[in-house]
Amino acid sequence: MRYLKEMYQKRLDVGPEKPRHRSEWTNWNYDAEIYAFGQRLGEEFDESTLRQAFINRSYVEGERKKRADLGIDTDAVPLQLEDNSELAEEGFALMSSYLKVYLRNIYPYMFEEGISAVHNYLTTDEMLAHIAKHIGCEDLILSEEFPVLASTLSTVFKAVVGALFNDKGQEQAERFVRDFVIPQLIEKDINELWHITNPMGLLKAVLALSGKEEPEPRLLWKSGANTIMSLYWVGIYSDREFIAKSPGETVSIAEEMAAREALKKIMKTEDNRAPLVLGSAAENLVLDYNRVNISAKDIIQKYYDNKSPQTGSSAF
Amino acid sequence: MANNAIPRDFLKNVLQNGMGRYVCQLQRITFRFCKSHPGSRHMRDFVENHLLDFTQKNPGVVVYLQPRRHRPPSIVAEFLNGRRETMEMIDKEPGEICKWAEHMRGRSGVQIVNMIRNNHTETPSTQGIWHPFMFRDTETAVTKFPDSRYSTLKHTGKTATDYVLEEIKK
Repeated sequence: MRYLKEMYQKRLDVGPEKPRHRSEWTNWNYDAEIYAFGQRLGEEFDESTLRQAFINRSYVEGERKKRADLGIDTDAVPLQLEDNSELAEEGFALMSSYLKVYLRNIYPYMFEEGISAVHNYLTTDEMLAHIAKHIGCEDLILSEEFPVLASTLSTVFKAVVGALFNDKGQEQAERFVRDFVIPQLIEKDINELWHITNPMGLLKAVLALSGKEEPEPRLLWKSGANTIMSLYWVGIYSDREFIAKSPGETVSIAEEMAAREALKKIMKTEDNRAPLVLGSAAENLVLDYNRVNISAKDIIQKYYDNKSPQTGSSAF
Repeated sequence: MANNAIPRDFLKNVLQNGMGRYVCQLQRITFRFCKSHPGSRHMRDFVENHLLDFTQKNPGVVVYLQPRRHRPPSIVAEFLNGRRETMEMIDKEPGEICKWAEHMRGRSGVQIVNMIRNNHTETPSTQGIWHPFMFRDTETAVTKFPDSRYSTLKHTGKTATDYVLEEIKK
């Protein structure tokens, strides 16, 4: 008992075990791990490209430094290591363009700014690092730093896409992006990803350009006014027709939320929208690669141009 | 173990697995055994006769064999979410070891917990949940209460009392 207490105290004094790289254990075979990585994802990578995808720039620099310290002539024995930055660049370009194409085709009425916001959410370092970790990249990365940074993990994921693009072509790489990146939108409200600063202004412009009257907010119901539990429901009407309604603590909040709700309806991204096309259903998906959605900025610009026509344009 | 000591959680799907394509969540599995001790004889039998079938069926799982002198046999499963599970294989026959290896292969790697419910969703209602105003006339927002229109008793049809009264009159 005394012995165990002593050991317990020692453990506390020493502190927690420091995190170690998986390769420090005896049961570690990098070749087998690399092979299994491709098999796990159901992709046939070229082994050398896949290996390159896991080599971080810091690792190459570290190796070079090690050799220099040992006094090895780098000209006589060149270091045949290439880092993944080029692959990552290629992969990111492909991923970025495909994500936008996919989102534009799935949400054809969503404004271009919204599409960009969703795209930016999917391509943040944290998101890509999360995906990279969960397909088993973390242990395979050759990098100087440990634990691996989110930015390194994200670069490796991009490089894996780039490697697939190099080996198997564009279609396969796009399928990879569709299968691993886009499902991260599930259970996520895409309307929250794009923050609209002035929803009523945008709604006004959209309605005006589609030949409708200005939006008219009306108070539908209220309850508990002048209490901390106050509740107002505001509906938005145009041409005496109902568009959307929403609750809020004050009338102005409810009005703003109703305008957001109306924009959701216009963009056809309501909560009851159709689910994303994924998996086997997406195999026959025909995407228009040249499609560009309407930009909210253009709409507002047009609205103001129409409102106060400039003398120069009217003369023309 | 007391029921409330076991963690309780909702059903979880790691990385939305299967929405795009299915990825086996078992990353690597290590079979640990002694080369000479009789305690490990079933594990040695498994390694000789059944292991190759397992590896051929699952090329995405890295399999390691780790001989440890005079230590009990066990399997260590490492999952893609970073969790590592050890399971003792003492007195387990080759068939049973096969089943436990299969069990590890089929798991998501999330800790086994008591399910709060068998189903779970982040979006409980796509058509919007019910609220007290859902079927209420919008006119009430601008009405000054008390209002005679909303204070009168609503007649929805013939009641039981009306029916009985009618019967008596007959």
